[in-house]
Amino acid sequence: MKISTEELDGGITKVVLDGRLDIEGAAAVDLKMNIVAGSSKFLLLDMQQVTFLGSMGLRSLVVPAQAVKRRGGKAVVFRPTPMVEEVFKASNIDTIIPIHHELSAALAALQ
Amino acid sequence: MHDTDAHNAEATLTLRSQLTDLTLVGPWVDELAAKHGIADNTRFAIDLCLEEALSNVIRHGYGSEPDHTVTVDFRADGESGLTFTIEDSAPHFKPSEAIEPMETRPIDEMEPGGQGIRLMRRFASSMVYEQLPQGNRLTLGFQKP
Repeated sequence: MKISTEELDGGITKVVLDGRLDIEGAAAVDLKMNIVAGSSKFLLLDMQQVTFLGSMGLRSLVVPAQAVKRRGGKAVVFRPTPMVEEVFKASNIDTIIPIHHELSAALAALQ
Repeated sequence: MHDTDAHNAEATLTLRSQLTDLTLVGPWVDELAAKHGIADNTRFAIDLCLEEALSNVIRHGYGSEPDHTVTVDFRADGESGLTFTIEDSAPHFKPSEAIEPMETRPIDEMEPGGQGIRLMRRFASSMVYEQLPQGNRLTLGFQKP
C-alpha cells in the first residue's frame, strides 16, 4: 500500500492511495494519514488506484475525516472503483465522506 | 452432514489467530479465482467477506490471543455456487446480535470500524451461522458470475 500527498490551491491536500486498503494496508497508511489530518483541513482522498477496501481500511479514512471535521475542515473521496464505492455505500460512509467522480465537483465540495 | 461436507472441501486455508496471517487470504482467493474462473467482482466480495469474518474471529472471538487456529474450507457447488466455511474454537458468537444500527450518525459521533457484519451481509449471497459444541461455524455463499 502506497500513500503520497500533493498540496493543491485552497489549502486542499490531495492524498493519493495506491494498493489494497486491507488490514495490512490500513496499518501501512495510518501514521501518514494521521499526520496529514493534523496539518491539513481539507482532504481530497484519491482512491483511483485502491483495489480493495475493508472495514479496517474504512477506519483509516474515517478517523482522519473526523479529525479535520473537528477543526472545521472536510474530506471527500475521489473516483473509487465500483466495488470500492460499493463498500462505502454498504457501510453508509458515503453519507459522511462524500464521493465524487469529477475533480471539479470534488474540489468545489471542499470549498 | 456439515462435517462430511467440510471433509470434502476442495481447498482449506488454516490461519493462526494473528492478524498478520490475514495476508494469506488474498493470495489464496486469487488462486481459487484463477482455478475456478471466478469473476473479479465476486473475487473482491469473497476477499472482503473473508477478511471481515476472520478478523472478527481473531480480534473478538479469540480476543487477539495468538495461539489458536481458524480454518476456511472452500467448496464449489454445482456450476455457480461457491461456499466458504469458517470454523473456530472461540466462545459462541451470533452475528445477528452484533449487527450495527443502520442509521447514519454525524461524522464526529461515528465509531470507526464495526462495519464488518454489515459488509458481509451486503457482499455475500448467503450467510449462515451455527454454534459448534466448541466453537463457531460461519458459512458464506457466493455466486460465481
